[in-house]
Amino acid sequence: MTTGTVSLDQIVSWLSRFRDLVTEQRSYLTELDSAIGDADHGANMYRGMTAVMEKIGTAPAGAADELLKTVGMTLVTSVGGASGPLYGTFFLRMGMTAGGATTFTPTELAAALRAGLDGIVSRGKAEAGDKTMFDAMSPALSALDASLAGGSSLHEAALAAFAAAERGRDATLPLVARKGRASYLGERSAGHLDPGATSTALLFQSLADTFPEG
Amino acid sequence: MIGIVVVSHSPRLAEAAVDLAMIMVGENPPPVAIAAGAGEGVIGTDAVAVAAAIEKVASPDGVLVFMDLGSAVLSATMALEFLSTDIEVRLSDAPFVEGITAGVVLAAAGASLDEVDRETRDALNAKIGQLDRPTDAPAAASAAVAGESAAEEKLINPDGLHSRPAATIVKLVAGYDAKVSITDLTTGKGPVSAKSLIGIMSLGAKEGDVIRISASGAQAAEAVEAIREMAADGFGEVPAKR
Repeated sequence: MTTGTVSLDQIVSWLSRFRDLVTEQRSYLTELDSAIGDADHGANMYRGMTAVMEKIGTAPAGAADELLKTVGMTLVTSVGGASGPLYGTFFLRMGMTAGGATTFTPTELAAALRAGLDGIVSRGKAEAGDKTMFDAMSPALSALDASLAGGSSLHEAALAAFAAAERGRDATLPLVARKGRASYLGERSAGHLDPGATSTALLFQSLADTFPEG
Repeated sequence: MIGIVVVSHSPRLAEAAVDLAMIMVGENPPPVAIAAGAGEGVIGTDAVAVAAAIEKVASPDGVLVFMDLGSAVLSATMALEFLSTDIEVRLSDAPFVEGITAGVVLAAAGASLDEVDRETRDALNAKIGQLDRPTDAPAAASAAVAGESAAEEKLINPDGLHSRPAATIVKLVAGYDAKVSITDLTTGKGPVSAKSLIGIMSLGAKEGDVIRISASGAQAAEAVEAIREMAADGFGEVPAKR
């Protein structure tokens, strides 16, 4: 059986880990983006997540909606590129679904993440195979749901989600981009990993790192 | 008067595009607000800044938002969710420079949000016409059932076909089932579509020039006569007695 609850402190740890990972890999993310985009994804995500941690570090939130709204709005105002409104919408929708809760069950967390993905879809109109962050996030959330439904712990489910996100990210390699500036490149966008799918895999790596075994 | 918002990744691009458009209007420009860049020196867009720009120029007549590309569109759609005002705000799919120019001119001429939205969407047609490349419009379709009509008239108003009369013609033509074009016979420029504000203004027709108004379609004769009358009247810009 799935047990345990997720605290707001753990949500903050997840975000903090994500900040660390995009900081570590910002050159790599920008390099990916320079191949098929405008060479700013690493710098943008680093700036955005740094601003997020500064904001929530100084003013700890009382409830999930408040915390996630701060995260979303900070990304919207600080990222600059398309990831601003997209990741921003993801966290804003997560917060709206979570409401005033101070803890989540694992399935509530999965539902909030799913609402975030729905927000990204309504914002960016992306579909499977468009070579976007959707291609990493959608399989990750399906794996998370399936794992939890099968009785796995949050640790195991988050690992399954991370593995699925990586597979989704890798599957963007041969795709021809149909969204964003990469789509202007047409066939020339094939043969490169999608930067957004790559940062999304880091988001799920952070989630797996946040919930250790036991 | 409607408000105009310009969203761009680059403050310099937005400011220059607005400057270019403002040359076209005189003393009574529409309210224009820019939301460009994502903070100090950062190329990008910010949905919160877009929402603030919309609120700055908000009026009961509505607001039309022009965007450059990519995240500018995402940020603008997101900004609509942040608005505390309930006035009508529309996002234009017009080309950036042409759209802003036509939008500012039409807004200054007092056109409604509907009219500015519709006209600016066609703002690329002036360039397409100038380059003489075929458009996708099924031109021949209506000609078979329609009449044709033409008339010539000498311009008597001191400023010729500047922005205000051009906007008047565009508005008038919209009310007729006819495809109308205008040629400046004196300079040989044209024909241009009478639906295109930029097209008409690009003729640069001056006082004393003779223009030819030609039309096809069910109401061709009515449309030609209406424009001819306005031209003969100097578009209301000629002092009654000199």
